[in-house]
Amino acid sequence: MLKQILVYALILALSLIGYFVITEPIILGPTASMVIIILIALVLLYILVRTIMGSFVGRRTVFTFVAIAVILPFFMTVDQPIKVSPEVQQLYDAVMALRPGSKVLVSFDYDPPSAPELQPMAESFFALCIERDLKIIIMGLWPQGPQQADLAMQTILREEAFAGKSWKYGTDYVNLGFQSGNEFVIQRMGGEIGSMFHNDFYGTPYDSLPLVRNIKNFSNIDFSFNLSAGYPGSVEWVQVAVDRYGLKMGAGNTAVQAPQMYPYLRAGQLTGLLGGLNGAAEFEKVTGRKAKGTRFMVSQSFSHVVVIAFIIIGNAAFFLGEKRRKKPEGETS
Amino acid sequence: MEQQIGLWVGAFLTMGIISFLYKDNPWYKLTEAIFVGISAGYWFVALFWDNIVGKFWIGVFDRGDYYLLVGAVLGLLMLMRLAPKIGWISRWPLSFVVGAISGFYLLNYFSSNVMLQVQSTIMPLFSPQFNDPLFTSSAGNIISNLFIAGGTFTGLVYFFFSKEHKGAFGGAAKIGIWVIMITFGASFGYTVMSRMSLLIGRMYFIFGEWLNLIG
Amino acid sequence: MRNSRVKVNGLFFVLISVFFYSGLSAEEPLIPNPEDTTKICIPRPPTNVLATDAVYDKGNVVNLNWVPSPDDNGDGKILQYQILRRLENDSVFALIDSVIAGTAFYKDETVESGQTYQYMVVAICDGGSGPSEPSPPVTPDMEWLNFALSNIFVIGLLICGSVIYFIGKAKSGRPLFIRKIAGLEAVDEAIGRATEMGRPILYVPGIQDMDDVQTIAGLTILGRVARVVADYDTKIKVPVSRSLVMTASRETLKAAYMAAGRPDAFNENMAQYITDEQFGYVAAVDGMIIRERPATTFFLGAFFAESLILAETGNSIGAIQIGGTANPAQLPFFVAACDFTLIGEELFAASAYLSGEPRQLGSLKGQDVGKALAMIAIVLGAITTTIGQAWNFEFISAIADLLNSLFRTN
Repeated sequence: MLKQILVYALILALSLIGYFVITEPIILGPTASMVIIILIALVLLYILVRTIMGSFVGRRTVFTFVAIAVILPFFMTVDQPIKVSPEVQQLYDAVMALRPGSKVLVSFDYDPPSAPELQPMAESFFALCIERDLKIIIMGLWPQGPQQADLAMQTILREEAFAGKSWKYGTDYVNLGFQSGNEFVIQRMGGEIGSMFHNDFYGTPYDSLPLVRNIKNFSNIDFSFNLSAGYPGSVEWVQVAVDRYGLKMGAGNTAVQAPQMYPYLRAGQLTGLLGGLNGAAEFEKVTGRKAKGTRFMVSQSFSHVVVIAFIIIGNAAFFLGEKRRKKPEGETS
Repeated sequence: MEQQIGLWVGAFLTMGIISFLYKDNPWYKLTEAIFVGISAGYWFVALFWDNIVGKFWIGVFDRGDYYLLVGAVLGLLMLMRLAPKIGWISRWPLSFVVGAISGFYLLNYFSSNVMLQVQSTIMPLFSPQFNDPLFTSSAGNIISNLFIAGGTFTGLVYFFFSKEHKGAFGGAAKIGIWVIMITFGASFGYTVMSRMSLLIGRMYFIFGEWLNLIG
Repeated sequence: MRNSRVKVNGLFFVLISVFFYSGLSAEEPLIPNPEDTTKICIPRPPTNVLATDAVYDKGNVVNLNWVPSPDDNGDGKILQYQILRRLENDSVFALIDSVIAGTAFYKDETVESGQTYQYMVVAICDGGSGPSEPSPPVTPDMEWLNFALSNIFVIGLLICGSVIYFIGKAKSGRPLFIRKIAGLEAVDEAIGRATEMGRPILYVPGIQDMDDVQTIAGLTILGRVARVVADYDTKIKVPVSRSLVMTASRETLKAAYMAAGRPDAFNENMAQYITDEQFGYVAAVDGMIIRERPATTFFLGAFFAESLILAETGNSIGAIQIGGTANPAQLPFFVAACDFTLIGEELFAASAYLSGEPRQLGSLKGQDVGKALAMIAIVLGAITTTIGQAWNFEFISAIADLLNSLFRTN
C-alpha cells in the first residue's frame, strides 16, 4: 500500500513539474532524434538476442517501448513521406468535381473516443469544402457527433487561411444535430429530411435555415461524407442512402472498420474512403493542409516499427519455447 | 480556469485508466467507477431528452403527430415486464420491433451485401472492363481479380454447412479458411493502427494540451 | 416563396420572364433594351427542356432534363438555373427552386399524382436571364409495383421459400444434416475445467440489444452452457450492456436451471446490467475478469472495438476462451486471443445445432441454398464474362449478361 502511495505521489510530482516548471516546449533536433532512434533500435536488437538465448521479456517491457515510440516523435523533428492511395484520391477528386455552391451532407457518427482518428479527417474535409465554397449540412447519428462537428468547424474557422472567408451559419453551413433511430433516420431522410430534423443543433426551426429549407431529401444533396466509428455508420449509409436513394457518398472510417468498407468501395457503392489516421494524413497531403493527421503519422509509424519488432521477438520466443518443450525431460536448460 | 481544471481532471482520469497496464490498482478502480457511472447517467439523460421529450412530447403536443401515441403505447407495454403476472404482454411490442427490423434489414442486406456484391464479382478475369480484349489487364490486376473471385467462392464453400468438408469440397474450404485468415491478418493490422491512434490521441492530450510540452 | 437566396436583381429578371411568358406583357417586351446589352448580360437560354414522369414511384416525382445554356461553360457567367412550373390550366409560371450552374437535371418532388404540369428553366447571370421554351406537359402517375426490382423478388422468393421448406422439414422431424463445428466440441470441456478449478465462468453475450440476431444466438448458446453449468454446480456470471438483454439472460438462465432440475441454485444476480456505454462496459468487465479470475470465458454475440480488450484480458489470466461473432472486423482478435472461435455464420450454426430448433435449422439450410446460388453465379459469371467478351461468343455473352442483370439492384 505504501509503495502504491509513493508511486502516486511520484506521478503527481512529475505532473506538477511538467506543468509548472517546464514552461517551454521540448524540441529535439535532427541529430538528437537520429541518436534516439538508433538507441531504441539497438535495445530492440539486444532484446531479440536475449530472447534467442532463452531469456524472455514481460508484457510491461512491450508497453514501455510502445509508449516511448508513441511519445518521443512528438518532440522530434522528423518528416515522413506520405503516399496518397487511390481511394483517398477518389474522394478528393469527387469533392473537387463539385461546383461551388453544391450541397454536401456530412454525418458525424462517432464520439470523442474515436476523435484522434476521425477529427483530423473532419477538419480537412471542412477546410476543403470551405475552400471550394461548398455548402455544408452537418448531422449525427451518434449523440456526441454534432459536438465533434462543431469543434472541427470552429478549429477550421479560426485558422488564418480562412480568416478572409465570411463563412456564415445558416447560409453556408448548418448543424442539424443528433437524431436517434439509427438507420431508420436515414430511411426517413430519403423521403423528407425535415421530418427527422424539426430543429437544428441550436434549436432553430428547419424551415428558418436558408441553406436547408429548400432541401427536401437526398436528391437535393450533391455529395455526402460520412465519418463513422461503428454502428450506425458507413455500412448503414451505404445500404440505405446510397443503394436505395442513389446518394453519392464518400466515407472516413476508423481503421478498425475500414476493411469492412472495401467491398463497397470495389463495387462502386462508395466514392472514396479514408481509413484511420493513415487516411487522414493522406487526405491532408492531397489537400495540401498539413495538420494533426500528418503530425500523428510519425508516432504511428514509430509504434508500428516497434510492434513489428516485438512480433519478430514474440515469434522467436514462441518457436524456441516449442523447441524446448519437444526436447526430452532433463535436457531443458 | 474552468478549462484548466477540466484538463487536470481529464489527464488524471486518462492516467488512471492507463495505470491498468501495470496492474489493477485503486486509481484504476476509481476511474473505472467514474466512467461507468457517468456513461450510464449520460445515456439515460441523452435518451430521455431525445426520445421522450424531443420525439414523443414535442411531437405529440407541439406538432400534433398523434400516430406517435401508437409507439408510446407499445413502449408502455414493454414496461409490463416489470409486473411478473402480466409480463407476457411485453412480447407484443418486442415482436413488433423484431418484425419491423427484420423486414427492413432483409432488404438492405440482401440488396447491398448479397446482390450487389455477387454482381461485382461477376467480372472479366483477364481484362479491365467488359468488352476489352483478353489479357489487357496488368499482372497485378489479373492476380487481384483471380483472388477476389476465387476467394469469394472458396469463402462461401467454408460457410456451407450442408456438406461435410471432405475431398475436393474440403480442399476448397481449406483454401477458403486461408483466405479468411489472410483477411483477418489485414484487418488485425488495421486495428493495431487504430488502437495506436487512440493512444497517440491520449498522449497528445497529456503532453500537448495539458502539459504544453509539444512545440 | 420557397427560395429566399435569389439575388434581388435575379428575381427582378425572373419576374420579367414570368410576365413575358404569361402573355400579359406581349405588347410591351420587358427584356432589357438591346442597347444596354454591353452592360447587362443576357445569357442564351437552356434548350430541350423535357419533363418526364419518374417510373415506379408514388406519382410525386417529375424528372426534368435540359441542355444547359451555351454560355454555361464553367467561367462563372451563368450563376444558376431557376426552375419554374405551372399547372396546365394556369397562365403563370411560378418559381419553385433554383439549382447551381452546370446542372442539367432537376427532380421535382412536390408534384401531385394525376395533375398535369409544364416547366420552364431560366438561366440567370449577373443582371440578366435567359428563359427556355416551356416543356411539353407531363402528368405524374403512381405505379403499384416496381418491376425493375423483380429479379430481387425472384431470388428473395427462392431463398425465403427454401427457408420455409426446410423449417417445415425440420418440424416434421426429418433429420437435417449440419457439418461439425470445431469450436462447439470445446464447450463441455471448458465448463468442466472451471468446475475442477472451482472458479467461475464468464459469459458475455455481446454488447448489442435483442434486435441483433447475434445477441439472440449468444443467448441460445448461453441456454445450453447454463444447463451444463447447473449440472456441474459451477458459478456463472453474465454481465450485459443492455437492459433487455439482462432480462432475456435471466430468463434463459432460469429456464436452463429449471431444465437441469436445480431451480433453487438459480440466482437473478447471475446476469447483471453494467452500462450501455461501450468502453464503460469494457472497463467494468475487464475489472471483473482480473478480480474474479474466471477459468473459462465465453464471448458469443455482437462485438465491436471491445473484442480484443476483453479477449486479451481473459488471455492474460490464463482462462480458456471461446469467442464468436459475425462482425468480420472483430473476428481476427478472437482468432488470435481465444482458444476456439466461431467464425461468422458458425455462431448461428452453433446456435441452431445446439438448440435443434426447427426455425434456426431451417434458416441455416435455406441460406445454404442462397450460398449455392451465389457460388454458381460467381463461377459461371466470371467464366462466361471472360470467355464471352474475349472471343465474342454471343451465346456465352448472353449468359454473362443474364447473370449480371439477375443480380443488379437498380
